[in-house]
Amino acid sequence: MRHPHRLLLLSASALLLFSCGGSDAPQPSTPEAQADQGFTPIASPSKPMTNLELVEDRTEEVADRLLTFSAELVKQDFVAALDWLADDFKGMGFAHLPVSAETTQLAGVVSQDFDVNGAPIVDKAGLLASWEETFGKWGEVSSVIWKVKGAEFQQGGRPMGRVKLYFHATGILPDGAMQSFSARGWARVKRVGDWVIDRLELTSYNIKTLTQAPFVEVTSAAGVGHTFARFGSDQNRSFHFNGAAAGDVDGDGDWDLFVPSDDRNYLYIALPDGTYGEEAVERGVDLPDDGTGAVFLDFDNDGDQDLFVAQVGWDIGDEQGGHHCALYTNDGSGNYTLASGLAGLNNPFVAYSPTVLDYDGDGWLDIFLSCYGMVEREHNDSWLQATNGYPNALLRNLGEGRGFEDMAEELGMAGSQWSYASAAADIDLDGDPDLYVANDYGDNQFWINAGDGSFEQQSDARGVTDRGNGMGASFGDLNQDGLLDLYVSNMSSTAGNRILDRLEDSIDPEILQVLRKLAAGNSIFFQQADGTLKRSPKKAGGVGANWAWSASLADLNLDGRLDVFCTNGFVTGNLAWDT
Amino acid sequence: MVASTVCDTPEEGEFQLQTVGNQGFLDRHNSQIFAEGRSFSGNERDKLFLNRGDGTFADLSDLSGCDSPGDGRGVICADLDDDGDLDLFVHEIQRERHHLYRNNLGGQFIKVRLAATNGQHEGIGATVIAHGPEGPVAQPLTRGAGFVSCQAPELVFGLGLAESAKVEVVWPGGARESFGSIPANSRVLLTEGTGKASNFAARPRPLPDPLPKGLRLRVGDTLPPLAMLDASGELTTLDSVELANGGELWINLWGKSCVPCIKEMPLLVEHDARDDLRVVLLCTDPPQHREQAVPIAVKRATGLADFYLGADSSSVLPPPEDYIDLLRLPIPTTLRISPEGKLLGVMRGTVPPR
Repeated sequence: MRHPHRLLLLSASALLLFSCGGSDAPQPSTPEAQADQGFTPIASPSKPMTNLELVEDRTEEVADRLLTFSAELVKQDFVAALDWLADDFKGMGFAHLPVSAETTQLAGVVSQDFDVNGAPIVDKAGLLASWEETFGKWGEVSSVIWKVKGAEFQQGGRPMGRVKLYFHATGILPDGAMQSFSARGWARVKRVGDWVIDRLELTSYNIKTLTQAPFVEVTSAAGVGHTFARFGSDQNRSFHFNGAAAGDVDGDGDWDLFVPSDDRNYLYIALPDGTYGEEAVERGVDLPDDGTGAVFLDFDNDGDQDLFVAQVGWDIGDEQGGHHCALYTNDGSGNYTLASGLAGLNNPFVAYSPTVLDYDGDGWLDIFLSCYGMVEREHNDSWLQATNGYPNALLRNLGEGRGFEDMAEELGMAGSQWSYASAAADIDLDGDPDLYVANDYGDNQFWINAGDGSFEQQSDARGVTDRGNGMGASFGDLNQDGLLDLYVSNMSSTAGNRILDRLEDSIDPEILQVLRKLAAGNSIFFQQADGTLKRSPKKAGGVGANWAWSASLADLNLDGRLDVFCTNGFVTGNLAWDT
Repeated sequence: MVASTVCDTPEEGEFQLQTVGNQGFLDRHNSQIFAEGRSFSGNERDKLFLNRGDGTFADLSDLSGCDSPGDGRGVICADLDDDGDLDLFVHEIQRERHHLYRNNLGGQFIKVRLAATNGQHEGIGATVIAHGPEGPVAQPLTRGAGFVSCQAPELVFGLGLAESAKVEVVWPGGARESFGSIPANSRVLLTEGTGKASNFAARPRPLPDPLPKGLRLRVGDTLPPLAMLDASGELTTLDSVELANGGELWINLWGKSCVPCIKEMPLLVEHDARDDLRVVLLCTDPPQHREQAVPIAVKRATGLADFYLGADSSSVLPPPEDYIDLLRLPIPTTLRISPEGKLLGVMRGTVPPR
């Protein structure tokens, strides 16, 4: 077992018999014609394997094998990709199928659904022809993704099984248009040395085309490229994930970029020609390295942008490690001095995302620090309600550049959750900032500002507890009603969802609901007129990232509606092995 | 294929692609599994969801041009070139850590900056509401939201086809103030208590066009002499001007595991036979694979000068990696170089027949 959620799920269901029902069995598309060609719908195993853990291990073998298949398709080496098909392969070809529906969607995306009824049954050479026809015309294959949505295997005998597949590929046509291909279906797989596909059945097939991508990457041309070691290598193995901050460092009206990093920090000063000059060393913000989140703010109210960088550090008994959070003061021209020994920053924090707010309305900006667990030392003590996180901090600004005082304990906000991030906004428009805290391995918190310098935790009352793996939070109005809504980044898991599918009929519905939430992904909460917030249904979209981190709510196509951009993915290694 | 599939970062050696069996319980902070190069929720691309206006969202990620698979963490969404639309800067944990995406969509907008007079002057925590074409849209002015991310202190409202929008602000302290109707494409500073929007000057600084994929120089730039190894591993120089000898020079970038590269080598020899053209090979394999690559070049591209990576860093000349991004370079790629050593153009895939 490899996934924490699987550990939980499997221990909860150790005595349950696994059964994968026939309710969602594939519907034969052209039974007569296909039967004439020796192709029958892919059936469930006659005697399904019942040990859930073995089923899942076998499923992951197939999923990992498909990852290597993806690599060949990305290279457009279709002949090599034939190795993933059995010699006696039979399946539905997908070239030249009739279009069953064509629509023009938001942003000018042309979407074509193809009629898989009547798809010809082809052998290996025929499927190769389909690949070449579909992907060979792409000048570049950007990505190929297989998802194993479900799987069941035959008990005993030669290893074989039936898997429910989602396939998605994206490429760029020679004229620069973007195209994506997605298909759903079933495959019969068998292990002949490695796992191979010997039957393939499509249930849907769609192609989307967009004449021009809305964004183009200009990293190198703009002078902000930074190549570092692969994550996991000796030079790059810190889990103190680094973020980014935008602000006007030198007061010229352009947005400069500060990027904390593992080896040192980077400060990209915006230049008039559209490029950036990297000046972290010259301007005094290159060290200490390994910072997590950073915020620009006018800490001392002198009219320029100071810089606060959160750091992970600890001081427990005789053991000290990491760094203290850093505050750099701006001299008015964009040159910084590290304010060492500043009150409130002499103690270390296991700090990730800082959030600026003037919580007590005294005219000096305060900082809330979301503090996580000390991953170098210990695991979370629960997957659902971890209580061994480092206390959060609410750094009250003492004013006049004197530093901070941590008020979190006094205000009851320190807690012991594994907090990754927070967002502040005046959700109830009463003139003071409220604060949402996203916690990993537990419930999130929504601190409503009472207006007297104190907060009340109202996540349950307002409907935004959002138990799960909170990674980030952002406020914005996502339904154009003038009220702030909330977006919470979480995790979703293909593996978790397929395991839960297997347990659908066998597990306590309440437990199932909790587990479903853990694997469900991000959350959108729309604010109601009474100040509570209501979860948007998953089917409404906007939440289907995987392991999600930071979300920005912004009108990216300037149509008068805020959109969502969300970073995604935990760790991508260079081996074809994943959960 | 891209060069990175044959050449990982040099210090990491050969790219590996193999399936590994079940390794037991995985803790997400277990460095060992990542040291070995395994993924945990890897190959997940960043997401872009467009708001349809009816409470639903369309997933445009894979057609967006900004869906990097490199394990993103922080993101900044700001109008970095002051053209009105919002650009993206993403910080990832993988090798290419910083990513800047230019928004090409354009459109009508109102950009808002704030000056508070009752509370702290930056107006952090204020809520700005613009009554746009799709209804009132509220945005908070934040510093520090999402995950480890701090946005610029400027709010951008899209106007669609609308010519103006009424804008109001709820300031820290609770005062609600209208700033009237503001025309499309305005950049305004809203100062608390004035009730009037004052325009601030545009500062356009167009973000550059992307460089040719896999290259760190533009068409028209000069490729200086590069420090290389020859087939026997001796230090040598790839001097474009000298090699071109008054004609055009093609530098063919190839790898020993790249079948199309090897297939096209005889064609390169044919081109090299032209009087006005010289063709040379630059192998993108890591230095430890040079000895395996050399026989291929000798056999398939007889007579062409061949160059290899791995020149000693003590060389006074720059290494090719200063101009070629091995992680992104699709191979085969052939660079067309002028007699003066300038990049004339880039040929992707197999070169055309002579």
